[in-house]
This record gives sequence, structure tokens and C-alpha cells, in this order.
Amino acid sequence: MAEGPTILPNFFKDFSTKAEPIVSTALGQKLPTSNPVREALATYVQLAGIESGYGYFAPNVPGGYRLVFELRYPDGRVEHELPSVRSEAAALRIAGLLENIGRTPFDAMREILLKTLAQSVWRQHPDVKSVRAILGSVRLPSIHEFEQGQRESYEFLYAYDFSPDNKPPKAHGR
Amino acid sequence: METFRTRLLEFLFPPGTDSWLAILRVGLGLEVALYSFSLRNDWAYLLSGTLRRVAEALLSLESPFIPRLGWAISLGAHVGLHEATVLLVAWICLLLAGCGLVIGFACRLSAILAWFFHLCAAKSGGFVSYGMDNFTTIGLFYLMLSPLPDRFSLDWRLRDLRPKHPELLGFWRRVLQLHLCVIYFFSGLTKCLGSGWWNGSSVWRALIRPPFDIIDPEILVRWNYVFPIAGIFICLLEITYPFFIWNSQTRKIWLICICAMHVGIGFTMGMYLFAFVMIVLNLAAFGPGLIRMERCTTSVQPQKAVS
Repeated sequence: MAEGPTILPNFFKDFSTKAEPIVSTALGQKLPTSNPVREALATYVQLAGIESGYGYFAPNVPGGYRLVFELRYPDGRVEHELPSVRSEAAALRIAGLLENIGRTPFDAMREILLKTLAQSVWRQHPDVKSVRAILGSVRLPSIHEFEQGQRESYEFLYAYDFSPDNKPPKAHGR
Repeated sequence: METFRTRLLEFLFPPGTDSWLAILRVGLGLEVALYSFSLRNDWAYLLSGTLRRVAEALLSLESPFIPRLGWAISLGAHVGLHEATVLLVAWICLLLAGCGLVIGFACRLSAILAWFFHLCAAKSGGFVSYGMDNFTTIGLFYLMLSPLPDRFSLDWRLRDLRPKHPELLGFWRRVLQLHLCVIYFFSGLTKCLGSGWWNGSSVWRALIRPPFDIIDPEILVRWNYVFPIAGIFICLLEITYPFFIWNSQTRKIWLICICAMHVGIGFTMGMYLFAFVMIVLNLAAFGPGLIRMERCTTSVQPQKAVS
């Protein structure tokens, strides 16, 4: 409520913004990371599986993210590939990974995660000269837009160039 | 005050059979076995290398005591085992623990191993985890603490083992029931706060959003008038769950509706394991006693009429 669009009036947003630090304090999140009380609480909630909320697909359903690898070969050829896994169960998890990559506010984290995925593409195509990872957000059409002929579209977010020598990648943002 | 205390104790420690525990054990055993089996080809890809190390580094910031696969991989490295080998061993242990739970062999050990290895996989693969992992952890956590074995298990029938504290059967069932009520209430409440669940657009978006888009949107769009009804129905079903699931008159309806909702999520969005674990938790918490209660009701009716 404090962050996102809801149908509730502004009063609730203000209330939630004020309540958030109180709840965080009660859960020990305001304590230093090495504080034993905080560690004990964090351990318990993780062991019991209660560390996250239960607002799945709420209050609204986000659009999601899409990752495309652009493979550049020494002869100038360019191919495009999507991250691939062998099972549908793993595909659900890769979608979760893309959410994490898309949402993280930390550039370094995004770069590390994308590099990990790029490396697996590299292993499948060892003769590739460089790999560009292009991340975009998915814009889903509304029912009305779909009926008008619109389909899902993508908005460019980031692109990272990876090469086999371990040089830092070139990052391009929107 | 004394009456309140007595009532509270009666509520928290109700008498009951271990049928719910048998449902939870078999259901979660199947869930863990299916989870392991479904990821057999991608297990090492999802849980090895940098992805795992970054997730575990972030986990260490929260607490160094949270179980993770890195512990076993470090141990394995000391005896010359490669990361892939340790991951394979962990996968086999998880699968065996799941099978052990299904048949009820070494129930307590199987439950602890299933909880531990699933938690390790969920935490080390933190970037690729989703809701299903949380609910499996929740279920396995309660299963591990509950008075095992139940009377349908091999441990009971062949090894003649009995639970040490059967008086806690009702307590752990009650905890699971209350937890489900919290889950559905807040899930429903947060959905109600978004306009998309009231006009149906959230249902539409959930169904066409990759990778949940297993039904062709061209087919879905023909049913567009159903989405607002489905959205409102889901919101109301979830938010009213804690109020109607306790009442013996409405329990059956709410349980059937909530299970039907999860079956729908499973088939229309491809989230089979998520749907399965939710159905198992619901059936274990509120399923046993429904049919017997009906029989009691029907047998009591004529007596009431006579009196």
C-alpha cells in the first residue's frame, strides 16, 4: 500500500508509510545485521518459510521481463537466443529469475546475474565472439487492446556486452 | 478468566485423529518427489555456480545459520567431491525423502531430510524460487514437528512405531489451519486493493503473462465477460476464507471452491506443483472430518425430530 497503486484513498498510503518502520522494528530489521536477535528472527522465518508475504499477483499483476541474447560470431553473423531450460518447471523459475534481474536496483547485481546466464549460452556456443544480453520489460495488452489487434510489446531496459576475455561488460541503459 | 483459558486450550488442543497428518505426509511426499523429478534435468543449472553463490552471499547477510547447499558443497570439496556430484547427492536425498514420506517409512527422518534439502535448494536457488517453495517449506516445517508416524504409515503397520506425543496432533493441525487463514486473508486483502481484480484485468493479465500463457489468448478473449466475475470471486473467496472455513455449514463449500480455484490455477497457468501443494495443505487442514460430520448430522436429525 505504501509503494504501489491501490484503490484505497491516500490516507491508507500515509498510514502504511508510517506503519512500515514500526513493523520493520518489531521484526528486528532495524537492528544491525550482526545483532543476534535479528539473526535469530531471520533464521526462524526462513526455516519456517514465512519470510515473504502472501500477496501473489497483488495488488496488480505485473507485466514481466524478457531477456534475449544476441550472439555475434567472428564471421559477422548474428543470432538471437532466449534463455532455455529443459523443463516447464524450470521455465517458471527462469521467469522468476528475470523478475529479480529486472527489479533489482543494483546495477552490479543485475550484471552478475546476466553474466551467469550469458555464460551458459557461451558454453553452448563456444565459437561466439561476443554476447549481448538485452533485457526488456513486457507490456501486456488490455482485453480491449487485444481485441483491437495489439499484442504484447517490449520496452528496452538494459543491454550488456560480454566477451570471452573477462573484461567488464559495456552496459547500455535506457 | 479461567473460562477463557479453558476455551483457549480447548481451541488450541482439540481432540482428533491423525488422518490430517496422513494427508499432509503423503501429499507433501508426493510434492517433494514431483518437485525433484520435474527439475531433474535443470537441477545443476539452477543451483550451481555464480547464481547459487550470489544467493547464498545475500542469505549470509540475513543470517549465517540458514541452511544452504553451499554447506554440503564446501564439505564435499574437502573430500574431493565436485559441486555437480554434491548437487546430485542432494537431489537423490530429496527424492528418497519424498518417497519415504509417501510410503511412511522412517517418517520423522524423511520429513526432516525433505524439509532440510528442500529448504537448502530453495534458499541456494533464491533467485529462481517462487511461492510454491514457500508453501512447501511451510508444510514440511509443520510436518517435521508433528507427532509422526500416523496410523497409515509403514512405520506404524510394519515397524510398530507410535508417536511420542499424540496429544499434539490437534495442536499442529490447528496451527496449520490458522496459518492458512492468515495466508488467504492477506492474499485476498492485497488483491482487493488493486483495481485489476475488480474489473477482471488482473485475471486476463495473469493468464496471458509469459510463462503462464499456456492457453491461447485468442481463445481467452472469447471468455472476457468471465474475468471480472472470476476476479471478484477469487478476492471474496480468499478474504472470507478465515470466516467461513470454520463454520461446519460452509466449510465444505469453501474447501471445494478454494481447491477448485487451485486446480484452475494449475491447469490454466501451468503451475501444477503450486496448485498441488495448496490443495494438500487445505485438505490436510480442513478436509478430515467433513464426511464423518455429515454422517453425524444425518444420524442426529431424526432424534432431534423425535424430541
